Amino acid sequence: MRVDGDAMTIDTEAAGPDEPLGNVQPGRFERFLAVLGDRLNAILVKETRQALKSRQFVTTFGLLLLCGWIWSLAGVAIIGPAIDYGTHGPWMFFGYYLILAFPLLVVVPYGAFRSVAAEQEERTYEMLSITALGPRQIVWGKLGSAALQMLIFLSAITPCLAFTYLLRGISLPTILLIFFYTGLGSLSLSMVGLFLGTLTTEKYFQVIISVLAAVGLFLAFWGGCVLVQEILRAEEMLQLSDAWFHQEFWIGNAAVVTLVVSYFALVFEAAAARITFAADNRSSRLRIVMLAQFALFTGWMAWGWIISGGYHEILWTYLIVAGLHWYGMGAMIIGESPDLSLRVRRHLPRSMFGRVFLTWFNPGPGTGYMFAIAGLLGTLTLAVVALELLPVWPAGQSPSPAQSYVNARWFAAMGLCYVVFFLGLGLLLNRAVRKFSRVGVTTAVLLQVLLVVLFCGIPAIVHSMTWEPHRSSYSAVEVASPIWTLAYIGQRGMPVKEKSLIVVLVPLAALVVFLLNLPGVVRELRFVRIAAPKRVMEEDAELAAQKVPPRPTRTSPWDD
Amino acid sequence: MITSHPMIELQDLHRHFGSTRAVNDVSFAVARGQVFGYIGPNGAGKTTSMRILATLDSPTAGDAYVDGFSVIDDPDRVRRRLGFMPDFLVAYANVNVHEYLDFFARAYRLRGKDRPRAVDRVMEFTGLDKLAEKPTTALSKGMKQRLALGRALIHDPAVLVLDEPAAGLDPRARIELRAMIRALANQGKTVLVSSHILTELAEICDVVGILEQGRLLAVGTVDEIHRRHEDPRSLVEIRLLGDAASLGKWLAERQEVDDLVLDGQCVRFSHRSAPKEDAALLRAMIEAGFDIVAFGTKRQSLEDVFMTVTQGLVQ
Repeated sequence: MRVDGDAMTIDTEAAGPDEPLGNVQPGRFERFLAVLGDRLNAILVKETRQALKSRQFVTTFGLLLLCGWIWSLAGVAIIGPAIDYGTHGPWMFFGYYLILAFPLLVVVPYGAFRSVAAEQEERTYEMLSITALGPRQIVWGKLGSAALQMLIFLSAITPCLAFTYLLRGISLPTILLIFFYTGLGSLSLSMVGLFLGTLTTEKYFQVIISVLAAVGLFLAFWGGCVLVQEILRAEEMLQLSDAWFHQEFWIGNAAVVTLVVSYFALVFEAAAARITFAADNRSSRLRIVMLAQFALFTGWMAWGWIISGGYHEILWTYLIVAGLHWYGMGAMIIGESPDLSLRVRRHLPRSMFGRVFLTWFNPGPGTGYMFAIAGLLGTLTLAVVALELLPVWPAGQSPSPAQSYVNARWFAAMGLCYVVFFLGLGLLLNRAVRKFSRVGVTTAVLLQVLLVVLFCGIPAIVHSMTWEPHRSSYSAVEVASPIWTLAYIGQRGMPVKEKSLIVVLVPLAALVVFLLNLPGVVRELRFVRIAAPKRVMEEDAELAAQKVPPRPTRTSPWDD
Repeated sequence: MITSHPMIELQDLHRHFGSTRAVNDVSFAVARGQVFGYIGPNGAGKTTSMRILATLDSPTAGDAYVDGFSVIDDPDRVRRRLGFMPDFLVAYANVNVHEYLDFFARAYRLRGKDRPRAVDRVMEFTGLDKLAEKPTTALSKGMKQRLALGRALIHDPAVLVLDEPAAGLDPRARIELRAMIRALANQGKTVLVSSHILTELAEICDVVGILEQGRLLAVGTVDEIHRRHEDPRSLVEIRLLGDAASLGKWLAERQEVDDLVLDGQCVRFSHRSAPKEDAALLRAMIEAGFDIVAFGTKRQSLEDVFMTVTQGLVQ
């Protein structure tokens, strides 16, 4: 070891010009590659280096190639001379798909999960977390590494898949579509795997999550295989080779991709939020994604509603998904801490407009409660507007029964009340529990599950104990049960006998719970922006000064 | 830029794990370029407070600052100027020494020529340049410690937090590590270092803090702590020609002498006095006709002070 007084000085500011190696000047392409390599995500570089040396990757890749070759030889041998006459493409393709789907849908996503979980177990994540890498860069790096492995596996089996096209019976669009969705599925599952890896640092929970993740991935693999088998069977009927030229093909796929991408973004933000430091804002981005996700869904539903001329199934799908979406998201958001860190308070909206419209994106259970209610209310308002527009629709005639729309209005109104009531009750319970224990998202969601089970289970037990023949399947006891009541309204409309009870009791309960929560919401609304500490402002000013280009020196005496 | 604030500051820091108060109201400050020795028995709260400084844990109450930035509210700014070396090595499988340091250089956003330059200098400084291609998992304990130090240094941080850097090192590596820490301090880096080897800390630290059961019992320069907590007595050992009993009798009459022990031609006793009075005593003995062959005094070391200040309590 050489220690020479002050010898160790790393001067990161004074980088000299690039020095050529010997007399050889690097070409433009080499320089471009050097710059590109320099800008690559640090984790992607490290994990690629690790993966290329790892036994797991080499074994998987070797097995993939070997299986591909064995299947090619075995398949050709089995088909025999008939290879010139028959259509054996789908059969061979399915074999190759099985070989490819296992690494893509099981190995790569599980590897992504283990990559994060192992960093937590071996405490390497701690050292990673205190570098200059942000949480999103960490997630992107891990995801990039999974995507790279996926591409390598895909490239290994691509010649085999191309070979199946020559065997006839399978169209190019089908091959590309299956490729595309398998890749998308692999990436999405890897994203979920990364999120699961961030969930806990406790070993026993990690073991449980590992088992659940493995089971889920095997199910995804099995589901993917079944789906591909069905697509191959229906290849001729669907005429996918002509699909490229049909508008519906593109619209349908765009809708699916939108859905997958929006959930991908949500899980990505959730994973990044999990590894962000405690004082940072972990909530606002998630709320923006939730809103954007639902706006996209609303757009697709509106499009379907318009082209179908107001088909009632679309409206019902919209209402049910809206209720579940906002209730589910609300159940998680109300588990946030009511205390805003000083860091978050530095960035609170300041203007009147900002405080009115953007406060609901601030972290906190109260603002989250209002955010979920406002989201659902907005959704239902859109649905009501769509219903009101129905009579003047250009098509003129609704393809659906009028009673269905009446039911939809009741369903929307009562659904909103139930969501307000359950989220509000959960919020009150969270506040009570917080007095003697920590409350997080998991606790808040578990409390919601408990509430729903209680409010639906008890009426169901009472109903079954007092069952009489010829009696209506709905009674006053069921008012407490959102599932029972909403299902009844959806299928048969408002129960005649209990209508007044439902119309009074459910909104009243929602109103009372809402009012009880208002003081907590107001407390969160009182948070105002604070100035950043002096030291932070000093550094920001220094950094800003470095970014401003120096003013040109005036050389002309005529310049002022 | 010369800063008016301390480079490290802990303000009323608390960290509780259930009923255990791992860190209990700890406050101190470390100025730029100082080496602060953090000492205390196992479970005293050293690692916990160091982890809070490194933004790996959050305090229950209070705050800590690095270069004026709060570890709670601005951990991202703290991380840019802090290098942390934990008491365990963080090695990656299938990664060699060069790749390991290159990865962390990338993670600290060193670009272009800065990155290989930083990696090379760190490898040279820590003596790892000969082991560049060696897998990190195959390194010896000492080499792993050097690698961990190299990782903490890769982005040239102004503040270094080193948790037990000498643990498990052989004597030579310890001496080298001590020299490295001093060299870093000479460059103006602020170093917070914990160790169980108190003699080493006493040599390299400007300021020392003694922690027990989460409480900071003493803080200051090594001399200040000596003065504040040291027993004013010195232990004196005399070897003489002739009869030790007569010297014993002579000493027993003096009020400042205690704990007198006669051992052949040796006399040992404790002397309540300053070093100047030790010299006066020696002169008096010679003038009294005793043939003194050897006269030695021993003042308390940092280890003695540590034993006096702490009570060996665990929680």
